[in-house]
Amino acid sequence: MSVLTLPAQPGQDTAPPPVPWRGMAWVTWRQQRALLISVPAVLAAVAVALVIFGLKAHHDYAALVNCPLNQGRQSGACQKLFSHFNSTDWPLANTVSILVALAPVLIGAFAGAPLLARELESGSYRFAWTQGLGRERQVIAKLVLVGIALVILAGAFGGLFSWFFQPFLWTEQMNRLTTEGVFASGGIVFPAFTLVAFMIGAFLGMLLRRVIPALAATLGGYLVIRLAAWGVRKYYPLAVVTGNSKVFSQFGTPSVPGYPWILSTWVTGPGGQPASQSITNGILNGPPGGSVPPGYTEWNRWIPLTHYWPMQCIEAGWLLVIAAALMAGTVWLVRHRAA
Amino acid sequence: MTVFAPPASRLDAGADVRSRPVPWPGMLWVTWRQHRALLITVSAVFCAAVAGLLVTGLRIHHDYALLIACRPAGSPACQGLSDFFNSTDWHQGEFAHIAVQAAPVLIAMFAGPPVVARELETGTYRYAWTQGIGRGRWTVAKLALLGSLLTIMAFAISQLLTWFFAPFMTTRQLTDLTPTVFDTSGLSYAAWTLVAFCLGAFLGTLLRGTLAGMAATLGGYVGLAAATWFYLRDHYPVRTFWPMQLLEAGWLLILSAALIGGTIWLVRRYAA
Repeated sequence: MSVLTLPAQPGQDTAPPPVPWRGMAWVTWRQQRALLISVPAVLAAVAVALVIFGLKAHHDYAALVNCPLNQGRQSGACQKLFSHFNSTDWPLANTVSILVALAPVLIGAFAGAPLLARELESGSYRFAWTQGLGRERQVIAKLVLVGIALVILAGAFGGLFSWFFQPFLWTEQMNRLTTEGVFASGGIVFPAFTLVAFMIGAFLGMLLRRVIPALAATLGGYLVIRLAAWGVRKYYPLAVVTGNSKVFSQFGTPSVPGYPWILSTWVTGPGGQPASQSITNGILNGPPGGSVPPGYTEWNRWIPLTHYWPMQCIEAGWLLVIAAALMAGTVWLVRHRAA
Repeated sequence: MTVFAPPASRLDAGADVRSRPVPWPGMLWVTWRQHRALLITVSAVFCAAVAGLLVTGLRIHHDYALLIACRPAGSPACQGLSDFFNSTDWHQGEFAHIAVQAAPVLIAMFAGPPVVARELETGTYRYAWTQGIGRGRWTVAKLALLGSLLTIMAFAISQLLTWFFAPFMTTRQLTDLTPTVFDTSGLSYAAWTLVAFCLGAFLGTLLRGTLAGMAATLGGYVGLAAATWFYLRDHYPVRTFWPMQLLEAGWLLILSAALIGGTIWLVRRYAA
């Protein structure tokens, strides 16, 4: 028999070779090592500064909170501590909080936009996409690997920032739910925003095929999502309705900082009828949970601080859905673009 | 004489042997051609910002005028006006102010590094730097054109923002010297925009990459701004608004010139 008609030998493995996913991990590392080294390095440096400064802030805060009650909160010594805290610790913390609010979009844009756009811009996709692994699997592997790394880094950093900023919630009377720079910079929402920014960057990079325009467009797209989140938060189905509640007097203390997040207030009179305008105005002009004429009920629809984690889960949930949709869109573009 | 006799020299023919003038106006066209995407985008953003500040500012000024003219001062109607001004109008004012403060570094991040770094990355410097005008003049012309345009736009926006923000100076008890207000008024805002652009150009040239330059510009600008806010301003020898503005604009201008000088020096020194 000739060589050309050699039959399959028994015992030979005729199954297709396994998909080389581990090779993809190495490729992602090689291509993205500048990013995967510099982002943790910068975050680590900022984290060290946050720890040092945070320890000082917590120390000052503890002194402030424990200012002896027999001296009263308004006493001279306590006032001096308070103004020192406000003039030295707060300005720096405020600046840090603004930078941390920008961190997701900067990390996401710098990581996501060049991920695919750089290959397209430089033409190296002609080599990368003709490897045995196939372009879709490559892109999925890259997005998943870099995305997981960013989520872990952002989650850790967000947790550290939440710890750092906690003293200022009371001194600046901030509600954890309503203050944008607090709610979206901690918990699971911060890594969710980072992931969404990353996916926006990757998708726009694939769509626009150029790195710098994709970077600029990612900043714009992220701003839209951020504004949408800020606007839609009050509609999460987590509000409670209470009548003549005395719980509002707890607000403003170190354990319950800030003002309550009240969505709407109305007053009913005897028999459950809506109260007259003058009585309603009188009650609305006072603080929530203030004194109410007998027979009348002040109803408040509000979101308590204890609903922090449910709110975080809802917001992280829809952000993850958007991120998944963008990832699917990116893979679809990779598959259907002849580039 | 044969056909192959050498031609008479140009000198003999009375040719004009003065050097040709340096073709600076040509650089206007080159800068436009190479950076038209940036110039169009920045102009669009500028127009949108002006329009937004004007429309919102007129409404805010209107609301404020109603507020201060409201009588009797403690009545529920006037209190309602005050509440609205301090919540809705203030939110818009605050957002506009933060956006305007963040804009210089973001725009300079996109404008500065690509000027030289993009040529280095793509290899087109081999063509651009061998033109008659020479690489030093090429770079300085581009940087001067783009830098002046950004600075002029920034100055216009800062004056508009000062007008826009005027009502909140009273309602929020701010002064000219409050750091966020000081940054966006007078000459400070334009000077910071110029420094951000020059920092971007320098770092892009130094690191020879657009993305690296952009990230470094962001970090460098934030560091410089933080150092100024928390340290340098406390050590100024003057304490009133205009002297401090002039001093800050002055040292920022000197820093910008030094950064441009550094960029040109790097470009000249680049061997490849």
